[in-house]
Amino acid sequence: MAIQEARTETALDDPADPSRRRLLAGLLTAYTASLIPWALAQPAPQADRGAFAALSAILVGRPSLDAAQATRTYDALVTDDAHFPTDVQALLTLINQRHIDPLQLQATLDSEHSPLASLPRRIMSAWVLGVVGSSEGARCVAYESALNAVIVADVLKPPTYAYGSYGSWTAKPV
Amino acid sequence: MAALASADIVVIGAGIVGALVARRLAQQGASVLILEAGPRLDRGRIVAAFRHSPFKGNWMAPYPPSPWAPHPIYVPRDNGYLKQAGPYPYPAEYIRAVGGTTWHWAAQAWRLVPNDMRIKSLYGVGVDWPLSYEELDPWYQEAEEILGVAGADNTGSPRQKPFPMKPVAEPWAMHRVRERLAGVYPVVANTVARNSRGYDGRPACVGNNSCQPICPINAQYLGINAVEAAEAAGAKVIPNAVVYRIEHDVQGRIAAVHYYAPDKSEHRVTGKTFILAANGIESPKLLLLSASSKYPNGLANRSGAVGRHLMDHPSTSLTFYADEEIWLGRGPQSPSSINTLRDGAFRSQHAPYRLDFTNISQVLNVTNDLIKEGVYGAAFAKQLRWRAARQINVKNVLEVLPNPDNRITLSSEKDAMGIPKPEAHYAIDAYTRRGAEVSKADFARIAELMGGTGLRYSAEGSFANNQHITGTLSMGNDPATSVVDAFGRSHDHENLFVCGTGVMPTAATMNSTLTAVALALRTAEHILPAKQAVVANAAGDREAGLA
Repeated sequence: MAIQEARTETALDDPADPSRRRLLAGLLTAYTASLIPWALAQPAPQADRGAFAALSAILVGRPSLDAAQATRTYDALVTDDAHFPTDVQALLTLINQRHIDPLQLQATLDSEHSPLASLPRRIMSAWVLGVVGSSEGARCVAYESALNAVIVADVLKPPTYAYGSYGSWTAKPV
Repeated sequence: MAALASADIVVIGAGIVGALVARRLAQQGASVLILEAGPRLDRGRIVAAFRHSPFKGNWMAPYPPSPWAPHPIYVPRDNGYLKQAGPYPYPAEYIRAVGGTTWHWAAQAWRLVPNDMRIKSLYGVGVDWPLSYEELDPWYQEAEEILGVAGADNTGSPRQKPFPMKPVAEPWAMHRVRERLAGVYPVVANTVARNSRGYDGRPACVGNNSCQPICPINAQYLGINAVEAAEAAGAKVIPNAVVYRIEHDVQGRIAAVHYYAPDKSEHRVTGKTFILAANGIESPKLLLLSASSKYPNGLANRSGAVGRHLMDHPSTSLTFYADEEIWLGRGPQSPSSINTLRDGAFRSQHAPYRLDFTNISQVLNVTNDLIKEGVYGAAFAKQLRWRAARQINVKNVLEVLPNPDNRITLSSEKDAMGIPKPEAHYAIDAYTRRGAEVSKADFARIAELMGGTGLRYSAEGSFANNQHITGTLSMGNDPATSVVDAFGRSHDHENLFVCGTGVMPTAATMNSTLTAVALALRTAEHILPAKQAVVANAAGDREAGLA
């Protein structure tokens, strides 16, 4: 399973492995590879999931993503939208071709009235909030491991988890 | 009709107020039956429901209503239970379940300030209460000792005896706010039913920062603690008992109440004394539902005041970035506030207010903002940390004056049990709006003192609601203008008492639960004096006789 291996040290530290490089290389260019260098090291037996991993990494700006969470998240997003895999490939290709900075991506899609404009927010919501879908269709796919919790984990606990012993919060946080 | 049940005291509503009245009366030896429309809940399941909810910002999400006892839900969409007649929306939230709405309160357990109870005499607005702060003081104390209240002495509310506990340890963020506002605004510890040490078998707070929607560890007092204490004292709770009618006899005394079980089977419960404690919306609803040929406008409603004078605490707010990292979200959610604007001669002109600083983690709000703004890539984590470390929110908690046009009535729509839904008629008047306007200068000054940037005021004319449902069953001395007397007894029915925030004739600026509990304990004493009081009185009588 491609993305699961992203967590292993070998995979992360060995981007030059040619047998692996070939597998995901088709999805990326030098530009997107520069955003997520680890991705070149990943075998991608399923191109759709590989593309999702690559686009996710670009959007959330993280060097690695949890494989089990990626599987759960991807499956949930596909359940909501059968075109999701195709759209992910299309957006990744767009970013590859036009070297779009992640910070400019939404504005670019919006200004061009792109049919892909809703895609980044859906993927971001899934990873950073742990929420897939909206309104009555919304469901939680992650909480403690949603990236908004992970990113501040050195300072805060997710609500409902104990911060520490009584009064530990009186100290300067960082 | 199912088997008849009976008790000396029948309480309608197993929230914190109903349960504490039940507890006190059961301790005096009365047989007490509590009827609760909603189900029993389990703390662990509530915690799990929150963690699995896709709507973490919606504190009602872990409390889905039961089909037979619905309560208002607005996310992801309005379930249409509390009908809105306007002109201003009143999207009240409450929980119909054993334990009631304090399952997800912030444990703010404030006393009023003495002048809150005399605003007509002092400032020419609102009404005076039929009792004084001094009369209420011992009942506040009893309530604070039951709940386990931690507080500071410098909040403007005098007291005769010390708090049961010292204030909860101050989060670093509030420490910095206090230091930087010093000399301009005194920032003080909030008065809370949250343990700053082990108290009554419950642990000290460990900063889960989820006081709303649920304290996972029982460090803050909840209605369920009151229910369990009532049961330990001998009271019996019947959950899923949806009372739909209060029955009177020919003399106008209450004879029985009727409830539906979830299967809509009908049950009748008789008693000697009845206590209505179903909250500021459900209690007036039930009185209006119980109209009869003798009382065509509903029970306890000679004055026509049942359901009227609906009040709450609207808030406007300012959100901004401080010029230093303070990291809200460490420790309890609502630790500190500014209390100096709760009272003053200005009350003749505009609403008073408390200024409240949140310590709720800003991570969720900031995340939503960043997604909305399209901040992707490496900038996301950087911005999330920067903003979550610096974002501050201060809100006002404004007084609303009693206005008969703000009211709860019966809707023409019915719920799944065929019971009319409540309907809210609400407006926010110029007095409250002027208070909000004045407070903007405080918001700006606070931001300035914190080196604030990125100032975001809440939308002009838009008020958030605080779910402090007050005033629909106001107490007073005049049966022509009030629903109950100073002891909570209905002017119209000798054996019907009302307890809860609804009996408060004015809303003041403080969360209303502690005042409702104090008044209810006073009601309980009036119904059945505590044994030690009886003994003391008996001793007094003997001495008098000897003299």
